[in-house]
Amino acid sequence: MDSIFFYRNPDSAASGDGALAGLNIAIQPNISKAGWPVDAGSRALANFTALEDATVVDRLSRSGAFLCGSTKTSEFGFGLAESRAGEAVKQKIADTELVLDMTGEARLAAAAAGVCGFKPSYGLVSHFGLIGLIPSMETCGVLSSSIQNIRGILKAVAGPDEKDFSLPDESVPDFTAQLINPTKTAIGVPAEAQSDLTDEQRERFRLSIEELSQAGFAVREVSFPEWPLFLAVHKIVGSVEASSAAGRYDSVRYGERAPGAKNWNEMYLASRGASFGTLLKSFLFQGAFFQFQRYTAYEDACRIRARLVADMKNLTGEVDFLALPVSGGASDPNPATLDETYRQFACTAFANVTGQPALVLPPASKGQAPLQLAGPRLSDAGLLSLGEHLLKLREGGK
Amino acid sequence: MEFEAVIGLEIHVELNCATKMFCDCPNNPGDDPNTNICPTCLWLPGAIPRFSAEALEKASLLCLGLGAELQPKSAFDQKVYYYPDLPKGYQLSQAHLPLARGGGIDISDEDGKTKRLRIHHIHMEEDVAKLVHEMEGRLPISLVDFNRAGSPLVEIVTEPDFRTPHHAMEFLKALRTQVRYVGSSECSMENGTMRVDANISVRPKGTRQMNTKVEVKNMNSIRHVGDAIAYEISRQSQAVQAGEAVVLHTRLWDPEKKVTLPMRGKFEGPCVPDPMVPVIELTPEWIEKMRVRLPEMPAARAGRFVKQHGLTGEEAAFLSEDPEVAVYFEALVGRGIAPRTAMHWLATQLLPAVKERKMELASQPVTPERFAALLKMLAGDEINANAAREVLTHLFESGESPEEIVKARGFKQVSDAGALEAMIDQALATQAAAVADFRAGQGKALGFLIGQVMQASGGKANPKIIRELLAKKLNAVS
Repeated sequence: MDSIFFYRNPDSAASGDGALAGLNIAIQPNISKAGWPVDAGSRALANFTALEDATVVDRLSRSGAFLCGSTKTSEFGFGLAESRAGEAVKQKIADTELVLDMTGEARLAAAAAGVCGFKPSYGLVSHFGLIGLIPSMETCGVLSSSIQNIRGILKAVAGPDEKDFSLPDESVPDFTAQLINPTKTAIGVPAEAQSDLTDEQRERFRLSIEELSQAGFAVREVSFPEWPLFLAVHKIVGSVEASSAAGRYDSVRYGERAPGAKNWNEMYLASRGASFGTLLKSFLFQGAFFQFQRYTAYEDACRIRARLVADMKNLTGEVDFLALPVSGGASDPNPATLDETYRQFACTAFANVTGQPALVLPPASKGQAPLQLAGPRLSDAGLLSLGEHLLKLREGGK
Repeated sequence: MEFEAVIGLEIHVELNCATKMFCDCPNNPGDDPNTNICPTCLWLPGAIPRFSAEALEKASLLCLGLGAELQPKSAFDQKVYYYPDLPKGYQLSQAHLPLARGGGIDISDEDGKTKRLRIHHIHMEEDVAKLVHEMEGRLPISLVDFNRAGSPLVEIVTEPDFRTPHHAMEFLKALRTQVRYVGSSECSMENGTMRVDANISVRPKGTRQMNTKVEVKNMNSIRHVGDAIAYEISRQSQAVQAGEAVVLHTRLWDPEKKVTLPMRGKFEGPCVPDPMVPVIELTPEWIEKMRVRLPEMPAARAGRFVKQHGLTGEEAAFLSEDPEVAVYFEALVGRGIAPRTAMHWLATQLLPAVKERKMELASQPVTPERFAALLKMLAGDEINANAAREVLTHLFESGESPEEIVKARGFKQVSDAGALEAMIDQALATQAAAVADFRAGQGKALGFLIGQVMQASGGKANPKIIRELLAKKLNAVS
């Protein structure tokens, strides 16, 4: 069996101290750890070794956690093609795993592995040292079967970082577990998020929602008419940002330079052509198209994004949390095209567009689907408490 | 047909910040290649720009100094293009929301009339790396020096208010003075801290149409900017007269041949908002804090010099051009030296002497205190102007006070009538021809005779007394 790891830490776990002592964490090779190879799943960074620790890595190490290695990722963490995210946790090789979530990758990987997956609010966790693609949407996601572990990791890594000025000037949430009172907690289920589900998926999702009602929560259907725009905005804004973010992989300072070019343009074309895989190329082409040919569509997408953020804020003001499917429709589990890749993330991309936190829980029973819960921005602590409450009920309940 | 030019300038000024704009690397582009670099300015994977507070302050002071209005909200965009001097495929620049808008500079036009040349906006951007092209044997190679990548720049974009090369040159001189005043840059075209592109079009005089413009680059002095614009106006006028269409393109000034030549078009990419550099929001309080730090600007200072010290507008403008000179001048006046004397001796003696010695006014040994002491002795007739010039030379070389130098080296003016009379008699006796000339009505001869006596005194005689005594004697004998 081929390894799920891209790189294994040759050191053995030290019995250190700190809040996370004894925790065994896997990362992906798009999260920098000084001295480790970080290829971000791309030939563009073949043989590249990280010079500095990402802030998340630095903070986890200081809290006593052990980084056991990095697991194979998709190219620059976009989509899940060829990614082995989630498997280390599923196979209990690692207690938790850090996976960049730019379209919903951490949440989908968690759902596939049958564990919990959390995408924190945008701006809570430093980007420094994360080799991403969509700066305004991606954030470091955390996978674990234990929400307590996720909370511990957030406690350790969240908050201002002098190396990342892009973090908004906000106070760090208190991640201490909160008491959840189901009768006073309203959970909205957006009707539009289910529109692509097959009948079978719909039934599984209904059973997952039923768990919430049985737990005493006030569950009601809500409406978000512009739901399909989340994916459209993500496609345009996300690909434009990716096109810029990948601009640095030009083979001038690092990476492999294709031989035989007669001038700079040829060097760029040949080297970048050899560096990127097909899916990534499609994504970058799409972004360059909107940058160079359809700039007004990009501007429109930015305006629509602002409106979606405002609408979502209104919706999460009416209810405390949202419950949604994680994936739906007849999406291909191994997508080859950009379109199919996006279809996989139809139920997760919204949180990357708005920057709100989202948590995926594994199904309670075989008949259920994994459940995605979301809250307003910076409701991370409450959302984790909600997830913990539900998991506890499952253990104690039946 | 008579043509008139419509000209606008785009001026890049490199800020003299200690660090680059988005990292802590020293902002010393001239150091050994690739010594001032880090993961951020090389844009290694995972690097994040960290916008420098000093760059914002220096850029803001520059904007205020030029009368531009700082915007409450500005932001960085990515100017996308692929070139090896650009380490990430885009340049961080403020394309949509610039730091400041408006402002301008008043210059004197060719007829001495005041003309307002307006600024459209001022934005910040990072510099790119330097490319060096060499031959390795017979193989051409290109080397990239990233020392300059990320150096902080501002770009000043003017309105197309300029009509002549004179306007452009006067604007640039005044701009240089004002930017130096606020201390944000050396602003020297010669060493590349100020780079000017000119956009030029022509139209029949009297019309208001805006025709296709041509951009001219590669001028490395203010003089060259004037020459390049003059050349381009005449080239375009001739082309239009010959019925040729002017097409939008960029030309390079060739300082040897004194012509502009077309260059291959550089691709201009789109500008996308940057998601990582935070939006810059300036509060009124912060802007006020910057305004307080602004020194008295040259125009205001010159106006005050005219009013307060009775100088002519020209003299006041001269003294105000360099803030160090202005401060030195006021230090002399503050020590009781008459403003005109201070102005005259500063402009004709001290500044040329400092320049000749390749020194800086602020750090050279003739402090305002010592120079004022010298000028006081001159005003009190203790020494004459000749001696004062000599003493000045000694002041550069020794630490002694002017009084000590005068005493030790016998520069004291000879005002003793008895001693002078003897020298005058001697001169009258030996220069009979000059005496005859004087009597024949040639006034010049008096000057000659004064010179003779002065020479006899070793330059120490009081010229006023010589003149009086000579005149008396010449008139008495006739």
